[in-house]
Amino acid sequence: MMHRNIPLSLLRLLRRSRLVQIGLLGLFWAAGEILARATGLPLPGGIIGMALALALFLAGGLKVANIKRGANWMLAEMLLFFVPAVLALLDHRELLGLLGLKIFALIVVSTTAVMCVTALTVDFCYRWSERDDGSNAVA
Amino acid sequence: MTAATLWREPLVQAAVWSLATILLYVLAKRLHRRWPRWWLMPLAVAPALLMIAALALNVSYRDYIRGTHWLVALLGPATVAFAVPIYEQRALIRRRWPMLLAGMAAGSLTAVATSWALAYVLGIDGELRLSLLPRSMSTPFAMEVSGEIGGIPDLTAVFVVLTGIIGAAVGDVVLARLPLRSALAKGALFGVGAHGAGTARAHQIGREEGAIAGLVMVLVGLMNVALAPLIIQFLR
Repeated sequence: MMHRNIPLSLLRLLRRSRLVQIGLLGLFWAAGEILARATGLPLPGGIIGMALALALFLAGGLKVANIKRGANWMLAEMLLFFVPAVLALLDHRELLGLLGLKIFALIVVSTTAVMCVTALTVDFCYRWSERDDGSNAVA
Repeated sequence: MTAATLWREPLVQAAVWSLATILLYVLAKRLHRRWPRWWLMPLAVAPALLMIAALALNVSYRDYIRGTHWLVALLGPATVAFAVPIYEQRALIRRRWPMLLAGMAAGSLTAVATSWALAYVLGIDGELRLSLLPRSMSTPFAMEVSGEIGGIPDLTAVFVVLTGIIGAAVGDVVLARLPLRSALAKGALFGVGAHGAGTARAHQIGREEGAIAGLVMVLVGLMNVALAPLIIQFLR
């Protein structure tokens, strides 16, 4: 009896605890880091970890429900993890003058252009394929 | 032990700055929920307040990041978390990947071309201009490309973060002005234009948008790392 109950209660803990699920995400990330270092791939560990997790979902080795609460929390609070990186500006005082204003303007204009071009390209293709689907009566 | 030596203790510094960062982030989030203006976005307000505190207390970036780097490191597990929305939207992605690819290619080309042209017009040249080119990608990718094409990876990292902040704000404005019909276009806009910070914003808008943005962000990074040698050829 005992040896069947322990994994079952562990599984229940995994289902319920957000913290355990976040720990599991951390394990995937660590595995990704190790793989990146071992193979010398120029990819961040997080990306490799994500690929591993996706592969496990698709193969049926891990249920999304077992990690979903932790993942949702991490995604919702992700902006927090960017905050300390912004303070790097403290080391680049040269960007606080006219040069900084120029760069600010460049980023605003360029990013606006990138977003418009990307969104309009995708939306154009979307409408085009919707019309195509409609005329051919293919779902 | 006097208060001054206790204050200089690395562990105390780490605890104080980590706590300050988290508290100011929570505060900034509440503020933004109460008054949803773009200039009150948490990713601008929290760092600005922290920067004022660091300047007032004469704390350098090195001292600050030594104690708070664990927060930045959590971006790794957060990236893994994108597997969940991407998996859930797999049917949509499988059906629509050609248009996402078209948007990514067009967006990446626009990013490099407009950055180059604007830098030229504004008189920004040399390494600084090259460091500005890969700023639409997420940090690890951008630093890789920056080094490859002759920029300064550290400086690129700063531009990446600035692009994220500005992009999350600009994205809302663009979204309100463009007559976009699909969640696909809305997600791709944030993923290509403003990497992680934009993706976090897209995730707040909707689940589909967030999933698309996350996928597109990763793929754009991969695409650009692969294409970096080509970009160099083109620039020379």
